Amino acid sequence: MSTTDGPTLIPDDASAQEIADREARMRRRKGWFPGLSDKWNALPRQTQWLILIVVVVIAYLLPILNPPLITTEPGNNWQIALAQMSVYALVAVGLNVVVGYAGLLDLGYVAFFALGSYTAAMFTSPDSPYVHIPYLWTLPLAMAVAMFFGVVLGVPTLRLRGDYLAIVTLGFGEIVRILATIIPAMKGQVGFQNVGHPPGTDSSGQTIFQNSNGTPWYWLTLTIIILVLLAAGNLERSRVGRAWIAIREDEDAAEIMGVPTFKYKVWAFAIGASVGGLSGALFAGQVGFVNNQKFDIATSILFVAAVVMGGTGNKVGAILGGALVAYIPLRFTAIAEFKYLIFGAALVVIMIFRPGGLLPARQSLLAYGRLAYNKLKGALGDIPASGKVVLEPGKGADK
Amino acid sequence: MTLLELKNISVHYGRIQAISDMSFSVEEGEIVSLIGANGAGKTTTMRTISGLLAPSAGSITFAGQDITRMKAHIRVVQGISQAPEGRGIFPGMTVEENLDMGSYGRKDRTKVAEDLERVFDLFPRLKERIKQFGGTMSGGEQQMLAIGRALMSNPKLLLLDEPSMGLAPQFIRQIFKIVTEINNQGTTVLLVEQNANQALARAHRAFVLETGSITHRGTGKELLANPAVKEAYLGVG
Repeated sequence: MSTTDGPTLIPDDASAQEIADREARMRRRKGWFPGLSDKWNALPRQTQWLILIVVVVIAYLLPILNPPLITTEPGNNWQIALAQMSVYALVAVGLNVVVGYAGLLDLGYVAFFALGSYTAAMFTSPDSPYVHIPYLWTLPLAMAVAMFFGVVLGVPTLRLRGDYLAIVTLGFGEIVRILATIIPAMKGQVGFQNVGHPPGTDSSGQTIFQNSNGTPWYWLTLTIIILVLLAAGNLERSRVGRAWIAIREDEDAAEIMGVPTFKYKVWAFAIGASVGGLSGALFAGQVGFVNNQKFDIATSILFVAAVVMGGTGNKVGAILGGALVAYIPLRFTAIAEFKYLIFGAALVVIMIFRPGGLLPARQSLLAYGRLAYNKLKGALGDIPASGKVVLEPGKGADK
Repeated sequence: MTLLELKNISVHYGRIQAISDMSFSVEEGEIVSLIGANGAGKTTTMRTISGLLAPSAGSITFAGQDITRMKAHIRVVQGISQAPEGRGIFPGMTVEENLDMGSYGRKDRTKVAEDLERVFDLFPRLKERIKQFGGTMSGGEQQMLAIGRALMSNPKLLLLDEPSMGLAPQFIRQIFKIVTEINNQGTTVLLVEQNANQALARAHRAFVLETGSITHRGTGKELLANPAVKEAYLGVG
């Protein structure tokens, strides 16, 4: 016999398997909305589209409906609140690519948001001495600038892992804010007034995209969110998406499966950054004013909180989380001062009762979509009702 | 023909030397075992060959090509595949998805389907559990999945890092039988083990690793009979 630590005896294999199966089934049932996503996936495709269309229509009608109880009025203008919620939702969708799909904890995401805001401001505000371009052109430009810096930050830092990456990105977030303070061209606290907006006037000659009118901004951002969601959905199901899931689950294993992990991590960073830049530009346009006060670490943490709260890795959850993070202090103005305290407590509670977030991602679904889900359902159905599985340990070897 | 050759390899973790001046080679078609105690540098050797660690000195040649500086994910395409220590399966993916990840770098889809059948022939249990999440399987099944997944890249050289770790005795025997079977089908196997008995009995050649260098080498049978190896690793003497 071997003198080194010998083989560990595991419980009888069949019974261990039975326990594992039962646990797996139980885990699937837990939650506040038991079986919600199961039910959703069981629906026929047409019904899903129908429901989606209804949801989207309701979403577009929200500023007009101004539903009682839900509305943020009289404390805050409901339309502007919606515009801000939608920007936060877009931020969360972008950050979800980085944190949720690829599993890279980015605590400096606000930097990309800031880069997008400053790009929009510096190319449209009359306070800026530089070239002026139409506001809508700053949206792709903001994406490109943020993406560029995403790569610049990613290439040296993505060799780091876990906590180290979190610390470096935290530092990057601060660097951008401090640069905005000390570089004269970025105007520190004075900032840029009258940031541009999309063109167009209504029948009475009034500008459509006014800072005081949230509705058009909300509609614009909502449309962009839908486009980004479609793109993110396609990415999820592609080879890139599968690589991200593998990296998140076990980076070394992914590498020795032939996944160029470094390249795909930089991609996740760059794509996430570009969405962050886009949302920053939208934010700057809606608010109409950009200075260095809005891009602190607390905002960065808030973004991460939005993703974690909504359900890391689930894009619908991210939208919910992002919107909630913006909504709560606007709706409950009395407690707005304590918003970080409340988010902290909410996160603790969520992590205890719902560790996957409000709408947790099923990892295999992320990787393979409906197909895998239906197969899985079929397989579970095949297991005999007693839960017993006949095992023949020697079967494979003797062949 | 020499498939893999390590020449004067040294590996450092920071300032700590894990492997010093190690040289050995693996011939095509062989099963070669590396045995040694905890901390001898077995896993470090494996990670250096698969490309997860970079050696601080020396060179690695694979199928006549210098791969010392080659990235791990490219080595997979070249034909080196590893079932990592502690199995390293993707817990949130099903058996099927795990196996699919194993063929990530490949484009020849019809060949992949054949390899999948081959893996299911070797491990019928994986076929039974095809929709199950990797993380909910027993240790033995996870090990089967790790080996099966490594085979999905159709490797020339299969690296197995402690396949018997934490397994019940009947599973250990089964895994080693399958390793021989895989070898008979034409895949060269480099095996790292603490379970010296099985590893030496199955190997064509073997090396004993102690604190980062090779101290004994020979055929599996020679080392099984070697008094020093017997005393230190086989519990006889």
